Amino acid sequence: MRTEDLTSTEKTEQSIKKVLQKHRLSGNCHMVTFQLEFQILEIQSKERLSSVITDLNIIMEPTEYSELSDFVSRAEDRRDLLMFFQSLHFFVEWCEYRQRTFEHFKEKYPEAVRLPEGAVSSCMAVRSPREPGFELIIVWRIQIDDGGKVLPKLDLLTKAPRRALQLDETRVLETAPRGFRALLGVLGIEAALESLVKSLGVGEDH
Amino acid sequence: MEWANDKSKGGVLAHLERLETQTNRSRKNLDPQTETAESALEAKIHKLRCLRDKLRAEVKERQARVKASTASVEPDQTLEVNEQEAVEGKQENMKAILQAYRFTGLSGKLTSRGVCVCISTAFEGNLLGSYFVDLVIQKPLRIHHHSIPVFIPLEEISAKYLQTNIQHFLFCLCEHLNAYAGRKYQADQLQSDFAGFLAGPLRRNSLCNLLSFTYKVEPHGQSFPFCARLLYKDLTTTLPTDVTITYQGTDALSTSWEEQRVCHENLFLTKPLHQVFTSFTRKGEKLDMSLVS
Repeated sequence: MRTEDLTSTEKTEQSIKKVLQKHRLSGNCHMVTFQLEFQILEIQSKERLSSVITDLNIIMEPTEYSELSDFVSRAEDRRDLLMFFQSLHFFVEWCEYRQRTFEHFKEKYPEAVRLPEGAVSSCMAVRSPREPGFELIIVWRIQIDDGGKVLPKLDLLTKAPRRALQLDETRVLETAPRGFRALLGVLGIEAALESLVKSLGVGEDH
Repeated sequence: MEWANDKSKGGVLAHLERLETQTNRSRKNLDPQTETAESALEAKIHKLRCLRDKLRAEVKERQARVKASTASVEPDQTLEVNEQEAVEGKQENMKAILQAYRFTGLSGKLTSRGVCVCISTAFEGNLLGSYFVDLVIQKPLRIHHHSIPVFIPLEEISAKYLQTNIQHFLFCLCEHLNAYAGRKYQADQLQSDFAGFLAGPLRRNSLCNLLSFTYKVEPHGQSFPFCARLLYKDLTTTLPTDVTITYQGTDALSTSWEEQRVCHENLFLTKPLHQVFTSFTRKGEKLDMSLVS
């Protein structure tokens, strides 16, 4: 992190002292680089001292994480420096965990697992090597809500040949996404994904 | 790509035949209208693509500028001839970096025993107080001393996380302290800036998660018809979880008072305390303007 500090002082009547600090700092959180410019107005009166962030500009280097741009504008509007840093930290941590998890599955089941968007994919496709028409796509989005909380959101998309859909009387494929969400709650992310992969008969010897 | 929602009758081959006849038919019926609509869309796509490329180039340029501005500081430092000046420059930079870390809300410095972590709090862009926790790096990790107020459940949080996940311990403490600072700020603002709306002082506990006050809505009204009780059960939030407003005016309880009461309950649940009263002031000003005209 690097910072520049330019301060200007202004004395007004009745011993109220106002100091405007301008800060510029640049830094990075793992692979995400940012530059901040903000102003802090300090007003010292007889009773109290208040420090307010009066202006906040955040410049992010473009990343593959499109979810960040909304969050950054919110942080700027609210001049919420703390939320910016803390949410960014958790967001990047979740992204790295997602990447590690997907890469683990790709290594373990190289024929069945495909990462359509490459290393920083937000989805993982699992295909049964015996029945290539069936595919399960796990979409893992990482969202930052209005209060700055970082939440993972996983969904399941299914793909099957038309003939299979016609034979699907118990509507397993239709109810799969809901079932997946319930499974996540019970087993957690890694175990749920593992059981999905296994359910397509991957890794069995025939 | 076929998705799991489409069903067709008569088997795959029949379906393929149908699709084929459909495309042949549509090729014969090329409508001049659809052709112009198509070319208009194509032109639009081209325009949007050009705009996208232009924006991409702009972004690249800014990126390069950012990189250049951060890189340009270093050559200046290497030009310094006087060694002492160079060392002083580095010291200033380190101090600035340490100060900058305070803005992240969580910063620390090494001590002889371990590390002293400083937690800074803020609410809506207002920088509020800081607290510190002095940790001794030993097995087990322990807190040497701290400035955390006694009503923050420090023992509970350290029992859960201090030994196993120190990052979570710090973030949890950060959450509690920021929420407390935010609630206290709201209560202080209410008391100082909107004292005219309150009958008597604002009653609160030290954790600022239980507030009760009697208030009025119109700045020039004589009576204070509403009594509010705000409870913040979740210690990590700055908005109340339970709001009870009772009407205690002398007028008979009419529907308009009841409507206002319910409306206020909703306001206190969704907006910070001082902002609710700011909106009361604004409403009052609007009413005055209508009297003048």
